[in-house]
Amino acid sequence: MRPHPRIALLVLLLLWTAVVIGAPLVGSQPISLGDVLRGDPTAEAIFWQLRLPRVLLALLAGAGLAVSGLAFQTLFRNELAEPYTLGIATGAALGAVLSLRLEEMGVLWGMPLVSLASFVGAIGATALVVGLAWRRKGNTGTLLLAGIAVSLSCSALILFLQYLSDSTQTFRMVRWMMGGLSVVGYGEVLWAAPWVLGGAAVLLALRWDLNLLLTGEELAASRGVDLVRLRLQVLGISALMIGALVAVAGPIGFVGLMVPHMLRRWVGHDHLFLAPACLLGGGAFLAVCDLAARTIMSPAELPVGVLTALLGGPFFLWLLVLGRRE
Amino acid sequence: MTPILAVRGLTWQPDRRPVLGPVDLDVLRGECLAVVGPNGAGKTSLLRCLTGLLRPTAGELRYEGQSFATLSRRELARRIAYVPQIRPASVPLSVEEIVLLGRYPHLSPFQLAPRKEDFAAVDAALALVGIDDLRRRPVDELSGGERQAAFIAAALAQESELLVLDEPTIHLDARHQRDLAELLLRLLRVETEAGRTVVLATHDLNLASLLGDRLLALSAGQVLACGTPSQILEPGLLEKLFRTRFEIVRGGERPVTLLQLGP
Repeated sequence: MRPHPRIALLVLLLLWTAVVIGAPLVGSQPISLGDVLRGDPTAEAIFWQLRLPRVLLALLAGAGLAVSGLAFQTLFRNELAEPYTLGIATGAALGAVLSLRLEEMGVLWGMPLVSLASFVGAIGATALVVGLAWRRKGNTGTLLLAGIAVSLSCSALILFLQYLSDSTQTFRMVRWMMGGLSVVGYGEVLWAAPWVLGGAAVLLALRWDLNLLLTGEELAASRGVDLVRLRLQVLGISALMIGALVAVAGPIGFVGLMVPHMLRRWVGHDHLFLAPACLLGGGAFLAVCDLAARTIMSPAELPVGVLTALLGGPFFLWLLVLGRRE
Repeated sequence: MTPILAVRGLTWQPDRRPVLGPVDLDVLRGECLAVVGPNGAGKTSLLRCLTGLLRPTAGELRYEGQSFATLSRRELARRIAYVPQIRPASVPLSVEEIVLLGRYPHLSPFQLAPRKEDFAAVDAALALVGIDDLRRRPVDELSGGERQAAFIAAALAQESELLVLDEPTIHLDARHQRDLAELLLRLLRVETEAGRTVVLATHDLNLASLLGDRLLALSAGQVLACGTPSQILEPGLLEKLFRTRFEIVRGGERPVTLLQLGP
């Protein structure tokens, strides 16, 4: 299949718009757009205060996860690279678990401490990965290995902290790590938006650099790309983006892997199209996943992180089998 | 005439292991300098230093009198284009896309789309290399010869006066070797607008003889000799350089080397 970037982008934009309008109408209590527009107080409250903020947060989180996954895959020339492989999300989880263990649920800058701790965890893990790989001038192989090492160490510490905690705390930790988008009002959306949109804008400005990386690091450097600076930029921006998202939504896995992978076949590899496609497609994908997560077991809710993780494994098996056949 | 590239005391010693140098070298405008030497002689390291990819341990490089140290990577890339030997096995872009990426040193990150002159440079490069018909083809579907042509077109779109090529004819069949040699000869006619200066490293002594105005014999990181093809492609020097014997015959104006078997 030949990629059709412009058509794909248009279809994604339509899909995205449909999700923004349609997803808030669906749920354990269905409402109609007519009721909302007529000013029915129940429908208005559900639409504006409960469902729309949640859909917007899903759109932002999916966009941020997908676009940083894309940047990592290009940077490391490895389609399995994503914020999780590099320890960013695990660092965030460690921060959150540590703060839950410390049980100091204070509030700082309008954010609960657990969010702040996960944000700091994401930045800290990235700084550690970069610091460990710096002796080798930050070459990508060393960065990837350092990321995996930091990720494994953080996971081990999380297990250790869970073992030390009582069952209530452990439950809260496990629940937090399943990820979820249940928010009321726009506080979380307003917090996540500047990080995601700002980060996406910078990654989009780096599109020529990322495209050049597809032709090889040596060639990219000979054309004037400062590889060390580019790696720091992509890692730093992704750490801020992922840290901000994990802080409000918990770790949601596999979006950063699945979405760029699906879109590449259809949009092509040019980051001018692929990055906006990931923003739209990643957002729509997570919003639809969240829609499924809150309706499958209605009135109970499935954490969206559980759903994306359940989709992730079969998705890759399917890709593998399909890829073989092609 | 001032050399386009002046190299003085160039030394490259990663982890204090002497790989290259000290090398003194002038590359003259419009010439083709062919670097020859055995495996591990430091040819690629020398090329990478000349393109600014490697920061030498000691020594100085100047482009038209301007020290490399005062030029940014982009400024350097507007002057020197490099076609490396090693490239990723898969490049998931079309020919036109990779040639357009040759414009990188001329593009600003805030530019939404490439400008008219960028597309004009792409068209000119594709026409010069003669692969206009491949424009929309994915690079991964091309043959080895076509792929090399596409990467050379990308380097030409960079519009740098100095073109540095590492083993440009490796893996190419005879016809594609001829096409490439003819392309480089076209580029070397400095009186034309596309006139370039070329530095290439090669194991193919006959290609070096065919194209090179001067040959640089590199041995264990040192310049063993530098001169015209007839001066360098000479049995005694070659035996010293490669530790194997050659017979030299004349093919037209150029010396042709034949590898000798036996002790």
